Amino acid sequence: MSEKKIVIPGDLVTEERKKLGSHVFVENGKVFSDSLGLFYPGKDIASVVPLHGKYIPRRGDLIVGIVVSQTYSGYIVDINSIYSSYISKELTRDRLKRGAVISAKVTDVNEVNEADLDDVRVFYGGEVLSVTPVKIPRMIGKNGSMLNALKDGTGCSLLIGRNGWVWVKDGNVPLLVKAIDLIEREAHLNNLTNKVGDFLNKNKGEK
Amino acid sequence: MMAKKKDEIEYVKNGKRVDGRKVDELRPLKIEVGVIDRADGSAYVEWGQNKVLAAVYGPREALPKHIQNPYKALVNCQYRMATFSVPDRKNPRPGRREIEISKVCSEALAKSIFIERFPNTKIDVFVQILDSNAGTRVAGLIAASVALADAGIPMRDLVAATGVGKAGGEIILDLNKEEEDAPDAVDIPLAILPGTEEIVLLQMDGLLTKEEWKKSIELGIKGCKQVYEVQKEALRKKYGEAEKETAKAREPSAKETKPKKEEKVN
Repeated sequence: MSEKKIVIPGDLVTEERKKLGSHVFVENGKVFSDSLGLFYPGKDIASVVPLHGKYIPRRGDLIVGIVVSQTYSGYIVDINSIYSSYISKELTRDRLKRGAVISAKVTDVNEVNEADLDDVRVFYGGEVLSVTPVKIPRMIGKNGSMLNALKDGTGCSLLIGRNGWVWVKDGNVPLLVKAIDLIEREAHLNNLTNKVGDFLNKNKGEK
Repeated sequence: MMAKKKDEIEYVKNGKRVDGRKVDELRPLKIEVGVIDRADGSAYVEWGQNKVLAAVYGPREALPKHIQNPYKALVNCQYRMATFSVPDRKNPRPGRREIEISKVCSEALAKSIFIERFPNTKIDVFVQILDSNAGTRVAGLIAASVALADAGIPMRDLVAATGVGKAGGEIILDLNKEEEDAPDAVDIPLAILPGTEEIVLLQMDGLLTKEEWKKSIELGIKGCKQVYEVQKEALRKKYGEAEKETAKAREPSAKETKPKKEEKVN
């Protein structure tokens, strides 16, 4: 992996003409960072990976939600974003209660960041863990490498929502919690998948 | 107790001030990032005798709904002084002064944030003054700005701020309480976005000549940039240290006691 730099809001990212990625802005032809995050100078796209931040829904995201209330024709679902979402009762055959866990796909996001949901699945049992949303890509890894390491290491069935909520069932959940802690703490460091793999191997027997 | 009358104090003597600083020297400044777990972002600032805590929550839904603005986020900064932050007990009821400072700080911070990216929301910033000795609004402002960066809120720049003014006929940087009480004292809290030197907060009480005014703004901007360096350092340090710590924490992690089972959601 190329070398990286910690940038803070207002830091100069690059003076070169590069493609603009996320969390940067242009002023006087120069590219600046708008968040506390990491910048990889080697890449041909000027982009900053933030270290913190709220989840803002994007079209196509797979998310985990919790039902908070129901109306006559649907359910209000908390999706760990600024706003809660709504799903119609037509989308699911199950009668959901308050606290039910669902996964859904974001089909559209409007101009005030409210999400429309579809492809609703209901999950029974298990529990929901919380991760900082900006660290979710590290939890999945390249081609799902980290996700596989977590599944193999703990024997859990898990579903990672892009919104920072993770549904888990069966397997060694306490170990998974520790592994997630490790990922959160070291999300900005290199070679994380191997570290987590080693960590899981070492503590496999622990319950 | 002060032995001399205030008129008789020499505020600058041989280039040194009452507390031994040079005319263009800040009080010792220390910033710590991420001190409050439950907040989205937080910071603690010690600036001379000033001690300030700032916490940021949001962006979150703005309620009641009629305060929402579909074009931008509201920045709601609340500056409060603790009852024990001044020599005599302060009435905890927010007074005229606190409400005014909250307003000007909100506006200064809003200038630095990309508020248009978060329509219908509110960003809450709570600034609590634990100990005060002149210049608490600028201390609160730099704490709030660092806390906002810690919360991951997109910003144009940090807000760097300092006090500047006049005591005993000399233009000085970062006045303390004694200097602020000088008979000819002028106090100017100044906040800028250091990248563009855009002024986001400027207040003044007292009288200055045109030359003195120019000199003090120049000195103030110089001071703000010193503060900016400390702010940047504090933010970087948090992640620099995390790297070191994890290298250490690697070894004993296997011996840790097992965590309590998480509460079931369903």
